[in-house]
Amino acid sequence: MANLNAVLLISFLLFSIGVLGILIRRNALIILMCVELMLNAANLNFIAFARHYGSATGQAYALLVMGFAAAEVAVGLALVVALYRKRDTVQVDDINLLKG
Amino acid sequence: MEHLLQVIGQNMFAIFGALALAGAAFMVISRSAVHSVLGFLFAMLCVAGCFLSLEAEFLGMAQILVYAGGIVVLFLFVVMLVELSKYKEKGLFQLQSRYAIGVVAIGAIGFLAMFRKAFFGAPSSEALVLRPDLAKGLDVAQQNAQAISRSLFADNLLPFEILSIVLLVALVGALVLAKKERV
Repeated sequence: MANLNAVLLISFLLFSIGVLGILIRRNALIILMCVELMLNAANLNFIAFARHYGSATGQAYALLVMGFAAAEVAVGLALVVALYRKRDTVQVDDINLLKG
Repeated sequence: MEHLLQVIGQNMFAIFGALALAGAAFMVISRSAVHSVLGFLFAMLCVAGCFLSLEAEFLGMAQILVYAGGIVVLFLFVVMLVELSKYKEKGLFQLQSRYAIGVVAIGAIGFLAMFRKAFFGAPSSEALVLRPDLAKGLDVAQQNAQAISRSLFADNLLPFEILSIVLLVALVGALVLAKKERV
C-alpha cells in the first residue's frame, strides 16, 4: 500500500518529464503527448488526495479531467493536421509567422 | 516465492510508478514518432496500474479505455498521416534544450527541497466516504463506480454539464479545423 508522499513524488516526476519534453522536443505531436502526460500527473494527485482525505470528489474530478484531456487532444491533433496541410511540416521551429 | 509475491503486492504502486516514469522518459528521448507513441501508451497503462493500486478501480479502467483505446489510436493515425519519410527531421531537440534541461532540473530540485517534509513525512490514508445522505444503501469501500457516480451527479453536476458542452465544441472545432476547403 503506497503512502501519499510516494504518490506525490511519482506524479511530480511525471509532470517534470512532461515539462521537459515540451521544452526540448521539436515535433508538435510529441509536445501534445507531453501535455497529456502532465494532465495524467495532475490526475494522479487528485486520486492520491481523494484517498488521503477519503473523499469521492477527487475521483469525480479526475474523471472530468480525463474528459477535458480527450477534448484537448482532439482539437490539438486537428490543429496538427491542418498545419501539415498548410505548411508541410510538424516541426514547431519551422513555424515562425509571428517572429519579428 | 510466496514472500517475493507478498513484497511485490505491497509495492505495486512503486513498481507501476517507476515503469510509468521509464515509459515517459522513453517517449521524450526516442527518435521515431511511432516509438514515442508506444512509450506514451506504456506510460498510460502504468498510470492506470497506479490508479488501480490506489483503490480507484473505476478510474483505472476508464484510463485504459480512454487512453489505450482512444487517444493512442488517434495519435497513431495522425503519425501515419503526417510523418512521411520524404522530409527529414532537422534535429531531435530544440536549440535551447541545454538551458531547458537546466531550468527544469533547478525547478525540480527547488521544489523537492521546499517540500521535502511533505514528501517524506509520515504516511496516512483513509477509507473512501460519502455524505451520509448520499451513501444510503451503498458499501462505499466496495462499490467504487457507484460512489463516484453519486458524488459526480449530486455534488459536481455543473462541471459535468460544462464538460459535455466542451466536448461538443471540441468535436465541431476539430471537424472545422481538419476540413479540406473552407466555406
